[in-house]
Amino acid sequence: MAETAAKVKKNRKRNYNNTAYLFVLPFVIVFCIFSVYPVLRTLQLSFTNYKGFGDPEFAGLANYQRVITDKYFWTSLWNTIRIWGVNIVLQLGLAFLLTIVFSDIKYKIRGLAVFRAVYYLPGIISVTSIAFLFKTLLDWRYGTVNQLLAKIGIGVGNPINWWGEPTAASLAISVIQTWMWFGNSFIMLMAGVQGINSDYFEAAAIDGCGRWKRFTKITLPLLKPILLYVTITSLIGGMQMFDLPFLIGTVNGNPSGALQTAIMYLYKFGFALRPKQVGYAAAIAYVLFLLILVVSIIQLKLNNKEE
Amino acid sequence: MKMKKVMALVLASLMTVSLAACGESTDAPTSTDAGTTSTDASTEEASTTDDASTEEAATELSGKLTIWTFTDDLKTAGEYFQELNPNVEVEVVVTATADYPTKLDTGLGAGDSSADIIVGEPQMLEPFFEAGYFEDLDAAPYNAQDYAGQIVDYVWEKGQDADGHQRAISYQITPAGFFYRRDIATEVFGTDDPEEIGKLFSSYDSILGAGETLKAAGYRIFASDGELQYVSGDEAWVVDEALNLTQYRIDYMNLVVQLYQQDLTAYAAQWTAPWYQAMSGPVPILSAETMWGTDDMNVWDAENFNENAANYSDETAEVFAFGLPSWGVLTMRDNVGETSGSWGVCSGPAYGFGGGTYIGISSLSENKELAWEFIKWFCLNEETSDWWIEVSEGDTPSLISALEKHADDENEVYGGQKLFAFWLEQAQGIDLDRVTQYDTAIGDLWGNAITAVKEGTSSKEDAINEFYDQVAATYPNLTIDREKEFVLD
Repeated sequence: MAETAAKVKKNRKRNYNNTAYLFVLPFVIVFCIFSVYPVLRTLQLSFTNYKGFGDPEFAGLANYQRVITDKYFWTSLWNTIRIWGVNIVLQLGLAFLLTIVFSDIKYKIRGLAVFRAVYYLPGIISVTSIAFLFKTLLDWRYGTVNQLLAKIGIGVGNPINWWGEPTAASLAISVIQTWMWFGNSFIMLMAGVQGINSDYFEAAAIDGCGRWKRFTKITLPLLKPILLYVTITSLIGGMQMFDLPFLIGTVNGNPSGALQTAIMYLYKFGFALRPKQVGYAAAIAYVLFLLILVVSIIQLKLNNKEE
Repeated sequence: MKMKKVMALVLASLMTVSLAACGESTDAPTSTDAGTTSTDASTEEASTTDDASTEEAATELSGKLTIWTFTDDLKTAGEYFQELNPNVEVEVVVTATADYPTKLDTGLGAGDSSADIIVGEPQMLEPFFEAGYFEDLDAAPYNAQDYAGQIVDYVWEKGQDADGHQRAISYQITPAGFFYRRDIATEVFGTDDPEEIGKLFSSYDSILGAGETLKAAGYRIFASDGELQYVSGDEAWVVDEALNLTQYRIDYMNLVVQLYQQDLTAYAAQWTAPWYQAMSGPVPILSAETMWGTDDMNVWDAENFNENAANYSDETAEVFAFGLPSWGVLTMRDNVGETSGSWGVCSGPAYGFGGGTYIGISSLSENKELAWEFIKWFCLNEETSDWWIEVSEGDTPSLISALEKHADDENEVYGGQKLFAFWLEQAQGIDLDRVTQYDTAIGDLWGNAITAVKEGTSSKEDAINEFYDQVAATYPNLTIDREKEFVLD
C-alpha cells in the first residue's frame, strides 16, 4: 500500500516536471527563432560576402580585416562615443542634482511621484515625434530656440545653425538624449538613495557632517552599484544609438557626417547601399558587440577591485 | 496526457513552419532558377493564350493584379486598366522610392508572391535582375523580343539583364535637354534657333563663355549650379570593377565651381521658390551665403521669400536656361506663367537622361499572364500612349510609333517647337553603358567633393583624395588609380 502511494507520488512529480518544460517551450522556441538564430546567422554572414540575395560566398576574415582598417568606421564610432559621452555626463549630473534636492531631509519636497512621472515622460514619447519636435525648435531660421536666443542678444543676424554645424548638431543630439533619459536615471538613483539606511545620514548630521561631505562619503559610495548599472546600460544603449541621429541627419549623418553613428554606418552597408554588403554589415555588428563587451567587462572589473 | 500530445504536435509543427520559412529565404530565387521554373510553369498555358490577340484578350481579362511601385504613374494607369477591364481588380501599393529596394529584398527574398508587377529606376535594375526578382520576358508566353524595335532603344536595352534577357520595359523616355528663353537668346546672341543655341551648350567652355556674356548683359545663365547634373559625365563611374574618374568629371567640377564663385547663377537652389520663379520672370539675385535662406527669409516658401528677399538682394535678373530631363516639360508647364510661348529646348554637351520607371513581372507572381497583359497594354499599345500623353499632360512615351505619331505636335509653351521629335532624337543618342549600380553612392560622394571645393573648405587635390578614400571604404572591390593625372584648372 505504502509502496503504491509512493509510486503515485513519484509519477505525479515527474509529470509536473514535464508539464513545466511544456510551459517553457513556447518561450524557448520564440527565443530561438528571434534571438538565437539571428545572432548565429549574423555571425555566419560576417564571414561571407552576402549581398542580400543568392547564396552567401565564404570570405574568411576579410570583412573583419576591413572593419579594423576602415577609417570611416572608426570615425563613426568616435562620433557615437562623443555624442554619448557628453550625454552621459549631463544625464548623470542632472539626475544627481535632482536626487540631492529630492532626498534632502531639510527641503522635504512634496509630490515626488508627480515629478518622477513628469521627468520620465520624454522617454516614452516616440523618437520620431522627438526628432520632428527638435528639428522644428532648433531650425536656424524660424526655430523657437534661436528666436529666444536672439531676444537675449545671442546670435542676432547670425543665428546658430544647429543642424548645419557639425559641433552644434552633435551637441544638440547629446542634449536631446539627456532630456529623454535623465528621468530614467533619476528614478534609479532615487530608488538607490531611498534604499540607504537613514540612520547613516542622521548619525552623520549629529556628528556635524555637512551636506557635501554626507553626499561624498555616504550617498556616493553606497550608490556605486546602481551608478555602475546605469552607466553600463547607458553605454550599451548609447553605442547602439541610431534613431535620433538617423532621423535628423539621414543615412549619411549630416552635417558633414558628424551625426553618423556606428550603427548608422552598419545600416548604410546592410540596407541603404547598392549593391548591399550584408556580410560587411554583419562584421561591423560583431566588432561593435565585442567592443561593448570588453568595455563592460573592464568597467565591472574595476568596480569589483575597488570594493 | 492527450493534451500534452496535442500541444507537442502543435508546437512541433509551429517550429517546422517557421524553420521552413527561414529556409526559404536563404534560397531566394537566383536569376537562373527563376528563369527556368517560371518558363516550365507557363509553357503549358502558353499554347492556349498565345494565339489570342491583345484586343481579344483584353476583353476577357479577369483576376486580381497587384502592383508594387514608387510612383503615382502606375496608380493612374492601374485605375484606368481596371476601368477598361471590369473583371480585373487592380491593387497598387506605393512605397517611397528610397525604401523600395528594401521592400523587394525583404518581400520577394522571403518568397512573398503577392506582387504581380514590380518596378525599378535605371540604377536599381542591375541588382534586382541579379537577384532574380524580375521574370524573364524573352521566354514564352511573353516572347518580348517580338516587340523589339517598337520601344526607344536605350529604354529597351536598359530593361535587359547582363545576359541580354528582357526583364523590364519602360513606358517613358527621360532624355535631358536645356530649356532656354528665346527672347533673351535673340537679344543677347542674335538668334533663338535651337540648333544655334545648342552650340552654346555644346561644351563646358562654351557654357562658361555664354554665362559670362549673359551676366554682362544683365542676365544669369542658370538659376542654380545644378543644371548640368544630367550631363555631368561622359563615361561610366565604374568600368571593369575599377573606379573611372575622367577629365570630363574634373571639368564638370571646375565648371560648377566657376559658376558658383563667379556669381554666374542666381544662387537659386533647385526646387526652391526663387528657382521656380525664375521660370516666369526676374528674380532677386541672392548670394552664396543667403541661397539657403536667412533667419527671416525662407527660400522654400514663395510668399515669405517675396516679402523678404529685397532685404538680401539689391538686384534682380532674368534667368536664361534650365537643364532638365523630358519630364521637365511638366515642371515648366506649371511655372512659366507669362513667359509661356517664349521658351525653346536644345541639346546639351552630352546625351544624358534622368530617372524613368521600368516595369516587369515578379518571378514569384501567381498571375503572370495578367501582369504581362498589363505591361503590353501600358508600354506597347499606341492607344494607351495617346491616353498617357494626354492624362500626364506631356510625359514622353517610349513607344516609337506614338512618338512618331505625335512628332508634329507643336508645344505652345515652346513657341510651337516639336518636342516629341526632339526628345526622340535625344533619346537615340543615349549611351547606356554609362549607367551602373554604383552611380547613386559614387555620384553622391563626388557631389560632396564638388561642394567642398566650391565652398572653399577644401582644395581640389584634397577633395579628390578624400573622394578616393571614401570610394575605397565604400566599395573595396573596386580598384582605384590614384596616380591618374588630371588638368585641375
